[in-house]
Amino acid sequence: MDFDDTPDEAAYRAAVRTLLEEHAAELLHVAPGGEAVDARTHEAGLRRTQRVLAEAGLVGITWPREHGGQGGTLVQQAIVTQELARAGVPTLINHIGLGMCGPTVIAHGSDDQKRRYLARLLRADDVWCQLFSEPASGSDLAALRTTAVRDGDEWVVNGQKVWTTLAHVADLGILLTRTDPDRPKHAGLTMFVVDMHAPGVTVRPLRQMVGSAGFNEVFFDEVRIPDEERLGEPGEGWRVAITTLMNERVTIGGAGSDLGVPVERLAALARERLPHLDAERQVLARQAVGRAVVASLAARYTGYRRFTVLSQGGLPGPEASAGKLAGTAAAKLVADAGVRLLGDDAVYAATADGDATWQRSQGYLPGLAIAGGTDQVLRNILGERVLGLPPEPRSDKDAPFAGGRR
Amino acid sequence: MNFDLGPDQRDAAAGARDFFRGSASPAAARAALEGGPVEPGHEALAAIGFLGITVPESAGGAGAGLLDLAVVAEQGGAVLAGPSLVTAARAAVLLGEHPDLAARLADGSARFAVVDGPVTGSAPSIDAAGATLFLGLDGGALVVGEGEATAGPPMDATRGLASVRLTSRRVLAEDAGELWARARQVAAVVLAAEDLGAADRAVQLAVGYAQQREAFGRRIGSYQAVKHLLVDAWVGVDQLRSLVWWAAWAADAAAAELPLAASAAKASAAEVLERAAETCIQVHGGIGFTWEHDAHLYWRRAKVDRLLLGDAAEHLDAVARLAVAGALG
Repeated sequence: MDFDDTPDEAAYRAAVRTLLEEHAAELLHVAPGGEAVDARTHEAGLRRTQRVLAEAGLVGITWPREHGGQGGTLVQQAIVTQELARAGVPTLINHIGLGMCGPTVIAHGSDDQKRRYLARLLRADDVWCQLFSEPASGSDLAALRTTAVRDGDEWVVNGQKVWTTLAHVADLGILLTRTDPDRPKHAGLTMFVVDMHAPGVTVRPLRQMVGSAGFNEVFFDEVRIPDEERLGEPGEGWRVAITTLMNERVTIGGAGSDLGVPVERLAALARERLPHLDAERQVLARQAVGRAVVASLAARYTGYRRFTVLSQGGLPGPEASAGKLAGTAAAKLVADAGVRLLGDDAVYAATADGDATWQRSQGYLPGLAIAGGTDQVLRNILGERVLGLPPEPRSDKDAPFAGGRR
Repeated sequence: MNFDLGPDQRDAAAGARDFFRGSASPAAARAALEGGPVEPGHEALAAIGFLGITVPESAGGAGAGLLDLAVVAEQGGAVLAGPSLVTAARAAVLLGEHPDLAARLADGSARFAVVDGPVTGSAPSIDAAGATLFLGLDGGALVVGEGEATAGPPMDATRGLASVRLTSRRVLAEDAGELWARARQVAAVVLAAEDLGAADRAVQLAVGYAQQREAFGRRIGSYQAVKHLLVDAWVGVDQLRSLVWWAAWAADAAAAELPLAASAAKASAAEVLERAAETCIQVHGGIGFTWEHDAHLYWRRAKVDRLLLGDAAEHLDAVARLAVAGALG
């Protein structure tokens, strides 16, 4: 047992670090612990950053070489992700495309689609989004209602998607639609690649409870998609979507990073604020800080165990869902302890000197417990796939979708 | 990075599982509440060499690391074995400069207990009932001596808790405060490892029952109200395993990290085992709080262990103080 890189991993990390230093002037950077870079205001810089990294061979590490990737391992991808974070390079603008859309095109796309899309995706010449969730189908994704109706060599799409990250800057998206409402809900779906600039596509920012807009809602009004942009066979959309969602799990490879504010910042805040509290208050505050630190370290070291599995050539299993569940709980403890240490400023949205780190994290975390798998859905996955407990009966699983919906 | 057990540790864990399953059980823990012997007992643990895992080879031990001992302790915890390997690990640290006594620890010819609090009347201390030699801290000096042990009615008889008054004492080391603190941290790690094994087993029992038991026409594990209880308990166990491994590794390889890691592991263990044991009873329903069922024996272990070697509040406070002082880096 050790926490060091293997010699191969160390050499790879050193090479990555050297490349990032060579190209530092061409890359966008953020301050440590600073706010995430907003694609709305930094689109050009973010696209340029990914292009530079792609040309340096630091994008699409696990993608096959024939599609422009590096043919590398999950560990190498994790090392690149760690080194980008260390260098202060913001999350790649095409992270949805790299993690989910691209692998779906690789698995289910035609040769023509692969040739037209994959190289451009890696360079962020096209930014991609994933159009799955809808107002009436969140956790129950297969209940989606956006329709695609065949019309000669085209499909006509009507409906609404929501919680679509990056839709406002995206050029392309993968779109899950219902093409046969008379079949059971999982069997009547079809996946497409959609041009986000096509007539009839309208993107609106969706403002979240903290006030900023990181997501969008997307409306489809008589949008025409050529049949050659279909991904997989008609009615096979669920199987295609599973490919996407499995890759979402694989992309949770950033082992050992905190989901909210890094716990080291809580320790620094406590160092500064504790001496100003009454003795009794200090005792209570140390309990809260201690609890947050223990939860964060437990989640972090559990991430190291998952990373070790990758390092030994394994794949992330369903137990990866525990990482998000525990990480979210730890992030809440960290944010709560942080806000409480602010004293009177805790009732305002920022401190007197304008720092909103802790309040913003507090307001972001209720969403984290829902996005990308709610706490409850994750518990179902863990209960059924890891502990082997029986599933709940699903009354709508085999019934025609239209039967119960219209 | 390789944050996983090695093949030797996996083999040791498998061997320990077989040994403990054959020599201890919740049934024995139940019988001990009514005056039966603690199993597997001191002689058996000495004979298989578990009391000397971290004692140097020159003193007759295995000269292995705390991680090697922790994976064995986890298996003992799973079947509520006694005496605790906490005592063996802690005494081995305290006797580092005394190979003659360490040899008697490893071969079992003396039954050691380490007593917390004043040696003229200690706090309830693990395996003090039945011990023949006691180690204590007396005015900053490490002392060894004989003593009288007084026990209350046991909540968990496998822990051998008793208060001790030393009737003789010999100084082994002056100014032993740091040594004492490190030994207590090592003890906390091993207690957390035993709690890990107990919590894991309690969750397994509950999961097994939820897979079989039917109510309202289907198996109760299919209900989210039950499923989510079990998952939360399991996630706790999975997280605790990471802290226990890290803390044991730190004791062997990164001494500066041990205080933080040990307190984190002990604070987590107290709450994880308590939740696992309470979940085990709750999921079993009526049968779960009968004397004949094993669930309460894990619950008893939880209710006692959470208060030994510092409760969660003490260790959370230590974690916070260390973090504020820069221990997170």
